[in-house]
Amino acid sequence: MELILQSIVNGLIQGGFFALFAVGLVLIFGVMSVVNFAHGELVMIGAYTIWLLHAQNGLAFIPAIGVAIIVVTIIGLLMERFLFRPTRDDPLAGLICSIGVLFILQVVATLIGGDGPSKQVPPPFHGTMVVFDSLRIPYQRIFSLVVSIVALSTLWYFLTRTKLGWALRAVALDREAAALQGININRISMIAIGVGGALAGLAGALMAPLTNINPHMGHNVIITAFIVTIVGGVGSLSGAVIAAVLYALFHTFVTVYFGGTLATICGLILMVVVLIVKPTGIMGVRVSE
Amino acid sequence: MGITRRDILRATAAGAVVAGTSSLPTGLFAASNKTVKIGMNIPMTGDYAPWGLPGLYGCEIIAKDINGAGGVEIGGEKYNIEMVAYDHAYDTEKAVQGYKKLVLEDDVKMVMMLGGSTVASVLPWAQRKKMLTTTLLPSDITPKSEYLIATCESHPLYNVTGVEWLAKNFPEAKTAAIVTNNDAEYGLQSAATYKAAFEVEGIDVVDVNLHGFDITDFAPIVSSVLAKKPDIFCMATSFYVTPLMEQLYHQGFKGKIISCTLDYYDEIIAKTSKEFVNGTIFQFPDFDDPALNDKGVNFPDPGGFDAKFRKDHPNDWSAVSWEYPAILLNWIEGAKAAGSVEPTDVLKSLKYTINPAFVFGGGKWWGSQLWGRDNSVVGRWPVVVVENGKARIQEYRSVSDWLAKNKDVLIKHMKELGLRTV
Repeated sequence: MELILQSIVNGLIQGGFFALFAVGLVLIFGVMSVVNFAHGELVMIGAYTIWLLHAQNGLAFIPAIGVAIIVVTIIGLLMERFLFRPTRDDPLAGLICSIGVLFILQVVATLIGGDGPSKQVPPPFHGTMVVFDSLRIPYQRIFSLVVSIVALSTLWYFLTRTKLGWALRAVALDREAAALQGININRISMIAIGVGGALAGLAGALMAPLTNINPHMGHNVIITAFIVTIVGGVGSLSGAVIAAVLYALFHTFVTVYFGGTLATICGLILMVVVLIVKPTGIMGVRVSE
Repeated sequence: MGITRRDILRATAAGAVVAGTSSLPTGLFAASNKTVKIGMNIPMTGDYAPWGLPGLYGCEIIAKDINGAGGVEIGGEKYNIEMVAYDHAYDTEKAVQGYKKLVLEDDVKMVMMLGGSTVASVLPWAQRKKMLTTTLLPSDITPKSEYLIATCESHPLYNVTGVEWLAKNFPEAKTAAIVTNNDAEYGLQSAATYKAAFEVEGIDVVDVNLHGFDITDFAPIVSSVLAKKPDIFCMATSFYVTPLMEQLYHQGFKGKIISCTLDYYDEIIAKTSKEFVNGTIFQFPDFDDPALNDKGVNFPDPGGFDAKFRKDHPNDWSAVSWEYPAILLNWIEGAKAAGSVEPTDVLKSLKYTINPAFVFGGGKWWGSQLWGRDNSVVGRWPVVVVENGKARIQEYRSVSDWLAKNKDVLIKHMKELGLRTV
């Protein structure tokens, strides 16, 4: 029972991370129809920013998170303006551009951090909360989970309660119809990638004290993000959040009871099964031609 | 041999220090010297970089010291040592490219490599070009790999010494769990060795948890393993020691921790606590350890080397920082004995030495019983324990003695995990 409870907690915390970066990917895809392969590297840049500012230069963790969000948002905006906008009519060109950015960001990270070992960030919140003498949750992870929930709730409020949010969802549903309603597609695209980038930066910043930071850490992030996106339903933000939590719990339990090697394979099999059985994913909607 | 490598290097190192010459350009002292190039085809970027790049830094320190002291005399001629490195980023295609460049364009006389698939990819070239090539993973050695030797690290055989020491000092620890990456080059080799060592000591292995390289969260793995209540948590040769240690700390593990490496343990302390990391057993000393002044150790001025390394590269010390330099020193000894820098001559001279000057002493050629060729040197190896936040050698123990008694147990576990043996 202890192990089950501990696994649920571990899964929920992991789900928070998955949701942060998967929602950003979904948002960018939904609004801009671009599969942003560099999304994992945006997360990586967020983590590197924390390492550079907080671990290396002593900036307090919370302000460093703010800077990480700003840095990654700016990178996202630059990508939109100079890569995705000029190639908007050709999704393949956007995808190839994002792969180029992926490599560029890896090199930038290597230049900033140098070669050698993965970077480590000492956790700003030391210690572990012990519940019922058996359930153990590091304060750093509790902080990450709370911030993830607040960020996703804020996004939900923005998308459902503000005019900009409605416009963003309208563009995601039908770009041409939205444009005919007077919605500025360029502006909305900038907002979409800005929000997606900010979430990626936040995810990287929160992960930084909990993981090995290196220029290639984005690989695992993007694979997970794709699994979550497909399982949740491509283009569905709520689907991404639900799928992130479900996938994290699934991955955690498979790891605990069947081993880490099998966990990712099972995740990919899950994705394939979803594609065969319910191609629209958990919350996706079938669109007629 | 009348004069040993140790004598020569001690003299040259001392000369360099006394004259204050080591920081001056090599050419001021050895302009008329010939140059012998030594290649390093290693990962300097990517996940494996910690086991490549620090070795280059270490070799550059040794080469600078030797050159600063006038070079090394081989076959009646003075040579400066020049290190030529190629970054293969642990990619087999790049490893072949790098190997060709080093051998064909740079005319190096030896190629040092980390090991694993990158070594396997260059072995046909080594054979064809008769190029002396070294690895840190003797499991790369095959019956046909005539030019591949492992003169320093005998990964993962030396891990048995840590288990021997643990069993002797903590006899109450009776169960162990092994967690490591699921790869045939590092993780499984090490897991098999630890399983054998635990069996020999009567320690029951309650779990072997293998994981891939795509794990971002080690909490579930550690939870799963700790549910089996092991007395010993063994990380074998894990690429993820820091996150595993972090999870062990947060999940309240109170038993003994043993690992092949504990690179950057100061960062682990920063993420956990000094008290938690204290007592962790591993196999790679810091070179400012007084126990390295033991007379059996074949490494000149380890403390001075450690100080220079940390001054030039304060955050880069890893398990390999001294290993590639130790191989370079082996090569110099072989070349001096051969009176030649040519790879085949140096190899012959090294192999003819029955008791090679192994870095920690007591070395002898071994390997035919496991890999089909006696091209690996095994000898004494230190057991290192973190004490008050600092790695300190507890004892040297003999790997060759252990193998003489228990090689069949090792071979059994290697086979069980599907690893190649003869």
